[in-house]
Order: sequence, then structure tokens, then C-alpha cells
Amino acid sequence: MRKLIAFMTAAVMALSLAACGGSGGAGDTASGAGGGASSGGSGEILFGVPADVSSLDPHTQNDSYSEEVVKMVYNTLYAFDESNTPAPSLAESYEVSEDNLSWTFHLRTDVKFHNGKALTAKDVEASFNRALPADSGYITTSMISPIESVAATDDATVVIKTKEPYGPMLSLLCNYNTAIMDSDFIEQYGRDLGTTAETVNGTGPYKVTSWAKDEEVVIEANPDYFGNKAQVGAIRYLVIPESSSRIIALENGEVDLIHKVPSEEVARLETLEGVSVLKVGGVGQRLFRFGCNDEIMSNTKVRQALTYAVDRDAIRKALFADVSEEATGPLAPAVFGSHDYGPIKQDLEKAKALLAEAGYPNGFETKIVTTTQYDKGSELAEMIAAQLGEIGVNATIEVLEWSVFLPMISGMTADEFDAPLFIMGAGTSMADADGGYRGLYTTTPDGKNDRNYGFYSNAEVDEYIAQGMTETDPEKRKEIYAKAGQILYLDDPTGIWLYDQLNVFAYNSDKIDGLRIDALGCVLFDNATVK
Amino acid sequence: MLGYTVKRILQVIPVLLIISFICFMMIRLVPGDPVANMLGINASKEAIAAQRAELGLDKPLLTQYGDFLVKALHGDLGKSITTRRPVIDEIAQRYPATLKLALGATVFAAVVGITFGVLSAVKQNKLTDNVIMVFSLLSVSTPSFFLALVMLLLFSIHLGWLPSMGLRTPLHYVLPIITLGMQSVGLIARTTRSSMLEVLRQDYIRTSRSRGISQAVIVMRHAFKNALIPVVTVVGLRFGGLLAGSMLVEAVFSVPGIGRFMVDGVLKRDYPVVQGTVLVLATTFVLVNLAVDLIYALIDPRIKYD
Repeated sequence: MRKLIAFMTAAVMALSLAACGGSGGAGDTASGAGGGASSGGSGEILFGVPADVSSLDPHTQNDSYSEEVVKMVYNTLYAFDESNTPAPSLAESYEVSEDNLSWTFHLRTDVKFHNGKALTAKDVEASFNRALPADSGYITTSMISPIESVAATDDATVVIKTKEPYGPMLSLLCNYNTAIMDSDFIEQYGRDLGTTAETVNGTGPYKVTSWAKDEEVVIEANPDYFGNKAQVGAIRYLVIPESSSRIIALENGEVDLIHKVPSEEVARLETLEGVSVLKVGGVGQRLFRFGCNDEIMSNTKVRQALTYAVDRDAIRKALFADVSEEATGPLAPAVFGSHDYGPIKQDLEKAKALLAEAGYPNGFETKIVTTTQYDKGSELAEMIAAQLGEIGVNATIEVLEWSVFLPMISGMTADEFDAPLFIMGAGTSMADADGGYRGLYTTTPDGKNDRNYGFYSNAEVDEYIAQGMTETDPEKRKEIYAKAGQILYLDDPTGIWLYDQLNVFAYNSDKIDGLRIDALGCVLFDNATVK
Repeated sequence: MLGYTVKRILQVIPVLLIISFICFMMIRLVPGDPVANMLGINASKEAIAAQRAELGLDKPLLTQYGDFLVKALHGDLGKSITTRRPVIDEIAQRYPATLKLALGATVFAAVVGITFGVLSAVKQNKLTDNVIMVFSLLSVSTPSFFLALVMLLLFSIHLGWLPSMGLRTPLHYVLPIITLGMQSVGLIARTTRSSMLEVLRQDYIRTSRSRGISQAVIVMRHAFKNALIPVVTVVGLRFGGLLAGSMLVEAVFSVPGIGRFMVDGVLKRDYPVVQGTVLVLATTFVLVNLAVDLIYALIDPRIKYD
């Protein structure tokens, strides 16, 4: 019997392993547009990311994990520098016509796509024209809606015409949803562009060499890059969905860098030898918006009362201690046009007085709608509901799946929309107040909540936001947005801003140097080195 | 036997039709919009309407189902709304990983479970039996997610013996396979034990003993084979369960398998992905059950199918 047991035990592992056999790394390992050319840098960085890239088409990428790779592979006409100011990238310079409607961009002439083709103005024209039609179905379309036309006048000159003067043009062009693609690839692949490694052809410091879905994306240094050449030979984005598994992989040395460190793990990781934790502020904020179509929430005093009833310090301490900063306005400090109005501290007496002024001295019944798509969305709603209870406002909580939440905030009428207080993330990808305010807080033009999810309407705010868009003097724009922010944050609040988000990464500091995190929380490897 | 096999394979067709219809309708009855998911929070109405039309989501449900069936019969399961790649390609890329894990876990669970079950039956009511039964109770009741993390902490972090993510080398398979198979170990051990005990009480076993045949020969040659039928049924069912239920293990061990793909598809309301993965998993499950039925005849010659 003992022999039998010994045999069977040995057989277990042998058979189990035999059943697996081979390697699991199958997938799309095609050479991509960049081919297998030797890279410029040396070494590689293994980067544990929570989700696979959904698309490497700049016009359809819609999440930070895709954007992170897109930023390494493509370029935009302008790009944010380290102080978040637009700086020349594919375009060297520009001129604006006297009527401020026509922007002429002069392109660099030394830029090559990863397949060796030279970049010309035709590629810029094709990239924009692909997303310009309102029904094109690309994410970029709504972002570039101020643009009327884009035309190449010669190989190195592009003219962008806008429908009306558009102050934040350069910030818009820094957005990687406007990255420039190869016109031949656009024609050849159409909507399939960016779905596999071989359908990607960018101009960026790295080129995509393989993409095994849900497993890893590999990018290699582009030796022909027109800017500072990448120092690291390759970056492997390894998909590790579970945050605890990502942390174990980092501690175990199986990855060198991880995304999205949970708040409760930050302090422990900071004590580990050879591990550094990066915490960088960006454009992201968390808030609960008011559904101003709700009869009670339409009252400014009620909304003000609720903003004073919430104890943001307690919420941050309990849920986001190491991954947040105090919010001081309706735009994070990294956004152009932001202004520091100071934190709003809990003041129950003031909140009760405002409620009484509004005609609700004994509070009222309401509803909080949240989604677990946002980090700790349920816990946030529970804490807010408990705090509102202190001023007599009894809130029930509705937790929705993201797929159910999304349709609720796209195209509903005021009669259909039933969310007096609902969770929201804020963070403009163009890092400009125009992106952070226009559409989101301007009166909805057709009575539907496509962008102004909470049906907020304030004539003064509308006016300031319109002025800010058409004004081209940056200083004047800042003044205009400061006035708009005062109303949105304090005087006629559109939401309860809870905190500014920090982008938190942990990495092997014995190996990696020179990581850069941009305002959108994307890790940039253009200056990174491997020791 | 051949006639029976053909008949069973033909029976698979209505089963798959029913499954595909239920799945098709259910995912569409659940609230949520795949196009809104794909185009994001800032998508315009025009863009959403145009995409819905392009994907054929504006047609009547039955027409959509008919289109799906016709295409599926030609081996086309449609394109993923999220990744825009053919679902059949996406599944082909992920299915092998899940299949290997499920097969490995089934083999692991069957070998360990049957060994423990036989031992337990032979040593009935002794210490070995009690220890094995407590272990099998633990194995059935430990959530795989929890077990995975404990194993990772122990074998990857503290001992440093095994890798924690992916499936690059045979060593990478060890932790996911044990985690996935562990719950089935207890189930198979308990089934084997009770089946063995029943057989060991039969008259022919007593007769064998009285003839002086050794215990090992009685257990392995005379009793074990006759106790196998319920065990094979459980193992077959577990294989199907492991195949469709590998999602958690795939998530913790970062395995790019079909389970994660299917759950992502459900969360994003990626209709073609959900339909395609369910169809493929259901087909596998039905075929495994057919194989189990055919194995009965091999184990017990008295079972004849013609």
C-alpha cells in the first residue's frame, strides 16, 4: 500500500504537469509595424498592470492602461512638458490667424514612423479627418468638436480651422486621443487599426513588438526616434488583475513596477528594502454630483448644506489615507485654470442653518447612486449617507454595475434621471479648464444629460465657460475660470468634491531610475533607465 | 456503441441551441449598453446610434439571434465589441490556457481524491480515515481565492519555490492547478470512499478474503474497478465545472484564460464574447459528459449501449 501511495503521489504532479505541457505564451507575437529591428536601449522593465490594453488606436483608447502604451508608441502635435505646459512635439511651431479661427502648424521634417515611412502633413490630416464626423463612433470625436476642418497645405504644414476662437487648442493637441497615425494604416486597417501589434504604426520612442491578449504587451526602444532616444531596451506590460497578486509579484521580483497600489498597502511597501513608492498628483478628483433635476437638489441652499455636512477628512483617513490629497477646488491643481478656494471643512451648524433657510429644517429623504467601478464606490456612499444623517438627511444607497450606470449618464432626460446625489470622477485629459468644465457644467443644449450628467444650469457659469473657451490670452483665461470655479465649488455647488487623487506606483528602486508620471497618472518611460 | 455515440452527438444539437438562445436573450435582457461601454463616458448620441447600427444592435432580437446562428454555423462567432477582433480568434488564444489548467486540476484532483478515498475506505474509522475526512472537508470548504493567496504567500514569497504569475514554464502551473483542483479533491475523496465501502461489503469481496487473496489485490483489482462508476461521473462533472469556474484562479495567478475573458465580457456587456464563450464552454461540457458515458462501458462490460 505504501508503494501505491508513493507511486500515486508522484503520478499526481507528473500527470498534472504533463496535462499542461508547453508554454502559455501563445498569442500575437507578430513583429508589428516596427519589425524586429534591433533596439536602441538596453535591459527591460517588467511592469505589472491591472488590465490589458483595450486598444492601441488613439481614437478608441478609453482607459489609462491603453493610454499609457499609446503615449510611448505615438506622438501628438504638442505634448505636455514636466510642468504641464504644452511644448512642441511633432509640430515645431504654429501661427494663429487674426480672427483666431485658423491655426497653422509647421511640422518637424525628421520624423519617421516605426516602419520607416516619413511623417508628412497628410498623416496629420488623415488622423484628424478620421474622427471629425459627428457619427464616426470614435472617442476623439467629441473632444475635437471645436475643430471645423484640418487640411495639409504642403508636406510640412497643416491648417486647423475652428468653428469659433478656441483658446485651449494647444492643450487639446496634447491629448493622446489626437495622436498622429500613419495615413496608410488608417486606410488599410480602418476600424481594425490598433487591435493587434501589426496594425500599430506610430512615431513614438517605443514600438509595439508583441501583444498577447490579457497577458502582455511588449514595446521596444525605437532607435530612429526623433527626440531623446529611449534608454531601456524593452518594457513588458504584464497583466495582473488582482492588486494583491501585483504586490506579491513585486515583492517576489517577478515584476519591477506596479500600478494602483491600494491605500492599505502603501505604508507597508514603503518600509520594504529596495522598493520605492511614487505618489504623484494629477488631474483626477472624486466627487459626488447633485442631480439638479431633483426638486430638492435644485435648491442652491440645499446643495450648499450638503457640501458642509460631509467630513472629507474622515473619509480620506478611513479609505484613501495614502492615496489622496485634500481637494481645494473643482479642478485639481495640475489642471490649467484651477484655483485654490481652500478645503471645505465639515460644519454641521452651518449645514443645518442652510437647510432651514432652504425650507427643510428637519431634513429630507434622498438617494445616493454609486458604482463599484470607482475605487471603494460603495464605502464612499455609505460614509456620506451616515454623515448626511447627522443633519437629518436620510439617504438610501443604490449600487449599480458600471454597464448599468453608464447609460444613466448618457442621453437621459430630466424626467428619466433619478439620482439626486451620484458618484463621479473628474479629470480632464487635456489638463485644461475647458475640458474640465465645458459640457460637464454648461446648461445642456437639448435637455439630455450626455455630458452635463446632473442637469446643472447656471447662466453665469455658462457665460464664463464660453468666454474661457474663446479667449486666447492665458492670464485672462485663468481669471475667467477662477470666477466660474467659485460658483461651481461654493456659491451654487454642482457637487461635493471629496479629494484629489494621487497616482500611486511601487517599483524596484535598485533597478529602475528616471520614471516619470504624467498628470493623467500614466507612467512614461522616455527618460527611464535600468541600473 | 457507434450508433449510441452518433445518437448522443445528435442530441447535443438541441442542447446547444437551447443554451445559445437562453444565453443570447439573457445577456440582452440584463440592463446595460455595450456601445456606451465601448465609447466611454463622453460619447455623443450620434456616435452611439451609429455604432449600434453598425453592430446590428438596432435590429429585432429574433433577427439578431437568427444572424448569430447562421454565422455561428459557419464558424463565425462575430467580433468582440470591445477589442474589435473576431471572437473565435480571441477564444482560440485563451482556451488552451484554461483547458490545460482544468485538465491539470482534474488529473490532480482525481489522483489525490481517489487515493485518499481508497485509503479512507480501507482504513475505515481509523485515524487515517478521520484525518483524510477532515482534510476533505477543509478542501471542499476553503474558497479558492483564499487558498490561492495563502499558497502565493507561502510558496512564492516566503519559500520562493514557485512563481506567482503567468503560465510560462511547467513550474508556473503548479500553484494554479493545485488551487483549482483542491475543492474537487475533497468531493472525489468522499465519493470514492462511500463507493468503495459499499463494494467492500459485497459478498464476493468476503469470498476473496476467505480464499486468502491479499488485501492489496482485493482492493485494487476486485473492489476499486467496481467502485469507479460514481467516481468517474463526479470527475467528469468536476472537469466541466473547473473549465467554466476557473475565473478566480485565472485572476489571482494572472492567467490569460477564457474564464476571465467571459466575465469581462459580461461586465462590459460584450454580447458576442458572452455568446461565444458560453457556446464553447457548453459544447466542451456536453462532450465531456458524453465521454464519461462512453467510459462507463469500458469500466463495466455489463453496460451496453446498442
